[in-house]
Order: sequence, then structure tokens, then C-alpha cells
Amino acid sequence: MSASQSAVRSRAEAVQVSRTFDWMILFTLFTAVLGGYHIHYMLTGGDWDFWTDWKDRRLWVTVAPIVSITFPAAVQACLWWRYRLPVGATISVVALMIGEWINRYLNFWGWTYFPVNICFPSNLIPGAIVLDVILMLGNSMTLTAVVGGLAYGLLFYPGNWPVIAPLHVPVEYNGMMMTLADLQGYHYVRTGTPEYIRMVEKGTLRTFGKDVAPVSAFFSGFVSIIIYFLWHFFGRWFAKTDFISDDAS
Amino acid sequence: MKIKDRVLKLSFIALLISMTAAMFYAPTASAHGEKSQAAFMRMRTIHWFDLHWSKEEVAVNDTMTLHGKFLVFAGWPETVDKPEVSFLNIGIPGPVFIRAGSWIGGQLVPRSVSLELGETYEFKVLLKARRPGDWHVHSMMNVQGGGPIIGPGKWVTVTGSMADFVNPVTTLTGQTIDLESYALDNVYFWHAVWFAIAFAWLLFWIKRPLFVPRHIAVSTGKANTLISAGDKKVGLAFALGTVVIVAASMGSTNDKYPVTTPLQAGLLRGMKTFQMPEQTVSVKVEDATYRVPGRAMNMTLTITNNGDSAVRLGEFETAGVRFLDPAVHEDDTNYPDDLLAEEGLTVSDNSPLAPGESRTVEVTASDAAWEVYRLADLIYDPDSRFAGLLFFWDAKGTRQMVTVDAPLIPTFI
Repeated sequence: MSASQSAVRSRAEAVQVSRTFDWMILFTLFTAVLGGYHIHYMLTGGDWDFWTDWKDRRLWVTVAPIVSITFPAAVQACLWWRYRLPVGATISVVALMIGEWINRYLNFWGWTYFPVNICFPSNLIPGAIVLDVILMLGNSMTLTAVVGGLAYGLLFYPGNWPVIAPLHVPVEYNGMMMTLADLQGYHYVRTGTPEYIRMVEKGTLRTFGKDVAPVSAFFSGFVSIIIYFLWHFFGRWFAKTDFISDDAS
Repeated sequence: MKIKDRVLKLSFIALLISMTAAMFYAPTASAHGEKSQAAFMRMRTIHWFDLHWSKEEVAVNDTMTLHGKFLVFAGWPETVDKPEVSFLNIGIPGPVFIRAGSWIGGQLVPRSVSLELGETYEFKVLLKARRPGDWHVHSMMNVQGGGPIIGPGKWVTVTGSMADFVNPVTTLTGQTIDLESYALDNVYFWHAVWFAIAFAWLLFWIKRPLFVPRHIAVSTGKANTLISAGDKKVGLAFALGTVVIVAASMGSTNDKYPVTTPLQAGLLRGMKTFQMPEQTVSVKVEDATYRVPGRAMNMTLTITNNGDSAVRLGEFETAGVRFLDPAVHEDDTNYPDDLLAEEGLTVSDNSPLAPGESRTVEVTASDAAWEVYRLADLIYDPDSRFAGLLFFWDAKGTRQMVTVDAPLIPTFI
């Protein structure tokens, strides 16, 4: 077969090859994002995502969306502008969460025996779906960044509340009040994570009484808008084909 | 094949075999690297003493305590942050026990505490056995900016089955739960729900031809044909459904758990100190040398007894290693063997030092522990000073503690 001949002999074969190619690319994309996004999120969100006694109403709400909107924005840039596929955010977040569950179950529980109810990952799926749909409906990076980024930040805390609320039930323990999540952190010894490392309930947001979570979520949403822009451009840049030499030219 | 290529090929195969073999060698990491910690940190920060492990064998669900005292050394090294924010931890390999309680001066310390230099504190840690095995249980203090300062460790055996472990807790809403598995079904349920929704959204798109035909369409200006009106309706349904589910689940959760509180955090100050017996003996370190070949530290001390009863030097303790003069004091606490030099302390003249008397003596603390616990590495530390606790006893058995802190000169011949 010469270079000028087609590799396939019929339309049916072309479709079959195309689908095979789809699955190969999907698998590669999924695992590459899983690895890269996982490392990124663990380095930037880390303990806030690892432990229930870090999942507070101020910093977790603020930090987690900001550092997790990164890969969704970049992957969206590639999949939408090159293929019109509105699944970049969802596929990124699903890959991340599958990686996290593998890590939490096999390492945190299977290897070091932390109960899963102290080290389950945060739920990022609601924000990701909304981000994808806004990009699909609006076909605009700016609209997705502003509306989608804000929604991504706002949906994070309520999207996780059904999971963490039972662990915020108070308990009296040897004369002190704490939540069950605090008690988990105290009971299940983390030799390398002393209590003072825990960054929870810190800051100057004291004028909103007990209702600081919505304010934190709004702030997180605003910063997520900026991060979305930044990473969307990263995604566009990395999705270029300038890196591949064109021998034919 | 050239000989060079063959060598390369065989070398590569040997490398692969070595790496594969290495994977099957996974020894248990049960201790905590305490020997790797800089010697000056172990000698000049937290001095743990009077330690007692209540059990050497404990069944799953049973408890044991580690209690004792620690002195926050007044000569705290400049290169380590002061213990203004510290946490009384326990050095164990993860949650093989749960920390059922920890106290400093009788106060529960689930949070960080502020410690004062030069003060002595009494502490207790209550542990409930969870995972069977042989575990090295250390006292431990984490210091912000200073890192973990690990104290002496002792092997404790946990027997039974982890499957039997329970951790019952009664909440302020009156519900008794098992914290080991509490709310786990709820975690799995909500994650399964959201994964199912996400997979449905992904499946809706990836069931159709993806990259090649769509790229061709986008490249030829037909991108708008790739998203149909039906796709947009489905997308809208997913977005609205997501928002509705989030709102509804949050509402129902609030109904189910009407009483919730924020995470608790804070720094505990003003910890109650432990008053040691009044110190009537003073000690001046004239010089101190470490004899590398002999694994022994020699101190020239001028000891002055200002009390009203004669005293003798019975023990020198540094970095958890105890050197005893058995003629004065013998250990009856079942202290870990590797940290106890029962005959490791010799004093050139250890006859009772009468009240008002002052005497200069040569004191030698020798034991393999200097080497085993890498305390000899002090000579390579950035602040080559040693420190420790001297314990004196009078005829009635009354003990008093004196701290020493001085430069250490190594001798290599």
C-alpha cells in the first residue's frame, strides 16, 4: 500500500476505525486527565478534600472549587472548540473522582485503615454538569466563565451538604463540644497531620453570623471565574497542533 | 548481535528482574524514624520522663494509657520554632489505636496548645486498640514550625480482629452511633447518584461518533450542525435537574439534621503546669566531651547541694535514653530495654553529697544507645550542644531534677 492509498476499503470499515479511534482517544484522555488532575487537586486542595474535619464552611467551600475548576476549563477548551463536545468538565471531574475513590479506598482505607467515612472525596459533579451545559447552550467562553464559573462555586457546598451534614451533628466529649467530624479527626490518629495544620474556620468573615457558607461560596465563584479564563486559555494553547511538525509542507 | 548490544540487552533484563524482585520485598514500617531526627532536637526541645505504658498487650476494643511528664526545655534551640502552637500527638502507624482521649495537666487537648519554655507538664493519652499487630507506641509533640518531636516508644501488641472494633458515640441530639461506620451508606448513596447522573450525561454524547467526524465538521465550518435542538433540550434538562436535585437534597438534609454545628478549632492557652519538687541542687557543667570510639559522653560537673539532706546522682536522661547508676536508682517501670542503660552511668565519686557541700566529679554516660539512637550524630548538627536531665535522690528516696545544657566537644582518638 502506498502513502497515497486509503487505509480503509469501505465506509463501514472507516466508521469502525473511527469508533475504535474514539475509544482509544477517550481512554487516553480519561486516564491522562485522571492522573494530571488528581496530582494537581491533591497538591492544591489536598487535606481539604482528604478529611471530614477539614470540610468547613469557609475555606473548604472557598478553596475546593477554585482549585478544581482548572482542568474542566482546559479540557472544555479542547473538546468544545475542536469537536463541539460539551463534556469536558464532566469527563474531567468524573476522572478525578474515580481516581480519588480508588486512592481513598485502596490507600486510605485498604492500606492505612482510615474509615471511608472520614476520607471520602468531595462531590464536584453538579458544578461540572452545569458548566458543560452552559458552554453548550451559550457557545461562549465568556458566558461560561462568568455564569458557569459562578455556578460552579455556588453549587459546591449545597452539592456536598447531604454527605457531610450527618458529620456536623454535635457531640459532647469529655466536657468539650465538637462535631462528629472533629471527633473523627481526633480519634483516627494522623501522626503527620497535627491539629494546628488544619486550616478551618480561619479568616475575618465574622459579620455574617452563622451564614458564612453562602458568602464563601460567592467568593469562591468569583475567583473561579478568573481561574476558568486562565485555564481555558491553557487548554486552548495545549490543544493546538503547532507542536506537530508537518512533513508534507 | 554485537557483543555491546547483547550486554545492553542483558543489563536491561537484569534491571527489570531486579525491579520486579524489589516489588515483592515490602518490610513492615512499624517505627517512626525517630532515630533520623536531628539529635539536638531530641536533646534540647521536649524532655519526656516518668513515662509509663499501662499495657504491653491489649485486645481490640480494650484501652491502654501512655502517661508521664515532659519538660519544655528552657534552652530551646534557636533553629526550631518555639512551642507556642503545639499538639500532643501519639506516634503510632496510623489509626491502629484510636485516640480516645488526651490530657495535659488534666485538661482534654483535642486542639493545639501553647506551651511555656522551662515548664513541666503532666500528660496522659488514652488509646483504644483497633487493629491487631505489634505497634511501636511513642509519645509525640508536634510543634508548629518545628515539626514532630517524637519521644520514647515501646512495642505494644494488639490482639483480636479489627472486624470486631466498635466506636460508639452519643451525640447531643441523643443518638448513639458507631463512628467507625456512621453515615457510610449515605456517602456511598450520594456519590452513586451523582456518578450515575454524570455517566448518563457522558453516555448521551459518547454513544455517537466523536473525534474524527466532529473534527472534520468543525474544520469545515459546520460546527453548528453538531448540536441539535434536541441536544440543547436534553442539556437544559440535565442542568435544571442538577440544580433541582441539589436544592431538594439540601432541603431534605436540613430537615433530617436540624441541629448541626461548624467544625471546632482553636488554641488552648494557659495549660496547667506540673510543679516539680523544689530544686536544691545546682549543677555547673565544666566541660563535656563525646568520645566517638567509646560511645560515651564524659561530663565534668560541679555539683552543689544547697538542701538539707545528702543526695546522690542516680540518672542522666537525654532524648529519652536513660543512663542509670544502679547503686542509686533502678528502674521499676518496665521502660523499653533499648532506651535503658541500667548500668550506663558512672560517677567518679558518687558518695552522698552532704548539705552545703560542693564537689567536682567526672560523669560518664556510656551505652550503645548513643550509636543505635544516632545521638552521636549530634556532632554533625548545626547547634552542637547537648542537654539532658539529671536526677538526684536523697536517702528517703526523694527525687529532684536538674537540667544541664552545654557545648559538647567530640574526641576522635
